[in-house]
Amino acid sequence: MSNAYLTYAAKRLGQAVVVILLAYVFTFVVVSILPGDPITSVLRNPQNGFSEEEIAEIIAAQGLDKPVIIQLWNSLTGFLTGDLGMSMRSNRPVSTLISEVLPSTLILASVGLAVALILAIVVAYGTRFLPKRYGQGLLRGFPSLFLSVPNFVIGLVLIHLFGFQLGIFRVINPDSFWATLFAAIALGIPISAQIAEVLIANLDKEAEQEYAAVARSRGLGQARLFAKHLLKPASLPVVTVIALTIGELLGGSLITETVFGRTGIGSLVQRSVSTQDLPVLQAIVSLGAVIFVLVNLVADLLYPLLDPRVKILGGQKRRPTTADEPSIGSTKAVTS
Amino acid sequence: MASQDRLTDTLIRAITIAPAPQPAAPLLRVDNLSVSYGRQDVVHDVGFELGRGKSLALIGESGSGKSTIARAVLRLLPNGARASGAVQFNEQNLLALPERRFRPLRGRQIGFVPQDPGNALNPVRTIGVQAMEAAALTDEPSVAIRRALILDTFAKVGLDNPQRAYDSYPHQLSGGMLQRVLIGLAVLPRPALLVADEPTSALDVTIQKRILDLLSRLQHDLNISLLLITHDLAIAAERTDTLVVLKNGVVQEAGKTSAVFSSPSSAYARKLHADVPALNPDRYARLRETGLRLHRTEEAPKIEVSAVTKKFTVDGKVLTAVNDISFAVAPGTTHALVGESGSGKTTTIRLLLGLEEPDSGEISVAGEQVSGRSRESLRAVWRHLQLVYQNPFTSLDPTWTVEHLVREPLDRFKIGTSKERAEQVRQAIANVGLDEHLLTRKPGALSGGQRQRVAIARSLVLKPDVIVLDEPTSALDVSVQADIVEVLLSLQARLGLTYVFVSHDLALVRQLAHTVSVMQRGSIVEHGTVADIFGNPQHPYTASLLASIPGGIADPVRMTHPKPRQVFRKEQIA
Repeated sequence: MSNAYLTYAAKRLGQAVVVILLAYVFTFVVVSILPGDPITSVLRNPQNGFSEEEIAEIIAAQGLDKPVIIQLWNSLTGFLTGDLGMSMRSNRPVSTLISEVLPSTLILASVGLAVALILAIVVAYGTRFLPKRYGQGLLRGFPSLFLSVPNFVIGLVLIHLFGFQLGIFRVINPDSFWATLFAAIALGIPISAQIAEVLIANLDKEAEQEYAAVARSRGLGQARLFAKHLLKPASLPVVTVIALTIGELLGGSLITETVFGRTGIGSLVQRSVSTQDLPVLQAIVSLGAVIFVLVNLVADLLYPLLDPRVKILGGQKRRPTTADEPSIGSTKAVTS
Repeated sequence: MASQDRLTDTLIRAITIAPAPQPAAPLLRVDNLSVSYGRQDVVHDVGFELGRGKSLALIGESGSGKSTIARAVLRLLPNGARASGAVQFNEQNLLALPERRFRPLRGRQIGFVPQDPGNALNPVRTIGVQAMEAAALTDEPSVAIRRALILDTFAKVGLDNPQRAYDSYPHQLSGGMLQRVLIGLAVLPRPALLVADEPTSALDVTIQKRILDLLSRLQHDLNISLLLITHDLAIAAERTDTLVVLKNGVVQEAGKTSAVFSSPSSAYARKLHADVPALNPDRYARLRETGLRLHRTEEAPKIEVSAVTKKFTVDGKVLTAVNDISFAVAPGTTHALVGESGSGKTTTIRLLLGLEEPDSGEISVAGEQVSGRSRESLRAVWRHLQLVYQNPFTSLDPTWTVEHLVREPLDRFKIGTSKERAEQVRQAIANVGLDEHLLTRKPGALSGGQRQRVAIARSLVLKPDVIVLDEPTSALDVSVQADIVEVLLSLQARLGLTYVFVSHDLALVRQLAHTVSVMQRGSIVEHGTVADIFGNPQHPYTASLLASIPGGIADPVRMTHPKPRQVFRKEQIA
């Protein structure tokens, strides 16, 4: 197992690196073929008051007078060594700008993910085991409700209710514990809907499996049946869904940050877009790609560890069929 | 040391608890039980009694409601099912108990052995973790002793490496081993009643016999009452004291097994008896011989397989799926390939159909070489060689009409005008005894038997010489199986078809085949005419296969009243 697993992991890691590099090159190319010349238009903006010599100096310093392919090479090697270049607006290293705001966003996103997970599991448990008269059926409507309300609306409602009416947190101090929690709730609710949707469908499927009936015949109660038997197999596909929602989590955090007035990647993006600060934007897009690829890599590496049936063959994971013959229907004993 | 003593204590207590003084009331009494799903009645007014330490079989075809009754007793009916009447267990009506009061009975008093062992354990948790749930029902506080109890039980049900089973995930064990695990888990808390729902229908014949022997032995030794659900009359007759015959949710006949079996009074029970291959070896003798007389000539064999070997490489290990096999089939006859799963039957027919290329040896069908052909030229062979697949529930495209399904081979080979094709489709449909009005139906609207007839019609429409039948009845009920067998044999008699019949059911093979090859681990261990093989088996493996055909009451080795012997016997699985 472990040898095959290591080969598999190494292969996946290699693929991830290639994807990240391609994503970086792609954003670079997109930025350089954008119509107009954002760089010189920023520099030549009369408000900035650069003289022609200064402009030429800046362009030379940034290496913008070189052919595109050289620029790409410099930019790529810089990216690989952690040098993301200088911001065109604030004249500070891009990496400094990002590392200032990244922790705040990461905290928001991870608390949001945690909220989403807890909410999804609670809703899914309810749809299965809440007595009918307490609205088991009603809960099934929750995911579509959660999905259809934009998270800035949820954010505004939360701010109004808990910030202004109940006074649990103060809007002017957006980094406090409670403010962070409510921002995370606003962020997590739409995400939880997608996770809950998949979880509910899979729980329904798993609960109909014979093993669930057999486990019940062994005297297991509902809570233990859910926690010990159904949750794990039902949440295997959820791992993939979570990996896919990471993108949304990052995108959603931009909106949530704006609504809650937090400083984070969101506000940095907003500032950089409005001032056409290309090095910062390029770095943030690449950062997004890196995070997305890494999370999916983790999901792929986790999967064989969670599901013992996943066999790793030649670097590919695949579920083994019951037998090497195409026997459909009865699962016959494989004896030999 | 101390824990060892406590273990012995617990084991002795568990095994030697004297049966309670027999109270007058039976352990389980079902009265006027009716179950409905929505408006559909599946069980209607069923009643029976099961005494302590006794066994009772609910027997019927699929849809007879037998499994629903079992689930009603276990209170495992799906949502939306409504049960009325009474299920008295120890004079408590189980249907009226709130879940809170029923749960303590689950496992402790009422054990359950399910149908398909492959799906009956959680695939992502180890067997040991799940076994602990059963061990927790014994009220034994120490985890170490619970664990020892589990390992001990595994040994008793005949798992030769209990520790390995304990540490395994379900997919790492074979079906027979899993069923042993499940039986072990069901009997571990020493229930008074064991409900076994078709415990062997997903298993090979030889394993089936061992599992049934194990159940009978445990039932006897531990004084457990057994409620056995089965579709196989021969098994029911061999293993139980009382029979309840069901059809469409209504009891047709009930009584002592020997009485119902030897002189069934209801028409349905008589038909059921007549349809069991094991009990009627000569049912089709005349039909079979007619075909042979009319068409058998001394010409060259229709199929010739000589010295064929096929190896596969799985996970770096070389696996010989088929090892130097040879057989020949005369035109107009049926040749059966029998053996357990993994014996190489399926690989053999894949080689025969040209879907796999043999490593060595030669195969010819109707004088044409199959091996070493390109995909294109194989099509010429396929016109003479058709396959009927095992499971008609999955082998037909559910979105196509019957007409389209049967016509497809003609379309593929571009045979005739569309008028001629339509005529040939009608002929084929009539040949298999289906009504023309079914042509516009889709498979979903057909029964299993009708679907398999469609599959046969589809293979007939090209007018082939040879049809390969891959367990064509294993997914069907016995009475439907009898219909299909009749269709196949009368087609053979009329059209002079040559069949290669793959099956693990020896009783069925005895009914319809002319010659047999017995396969074990990729080799043919014995071959000959049906009369020779069944009358005088030479190879011990053939003998063991024959011994595992349930023989009903006529069988001298009846298990119901075994002589007292060793409490449990260890045996190996394959």
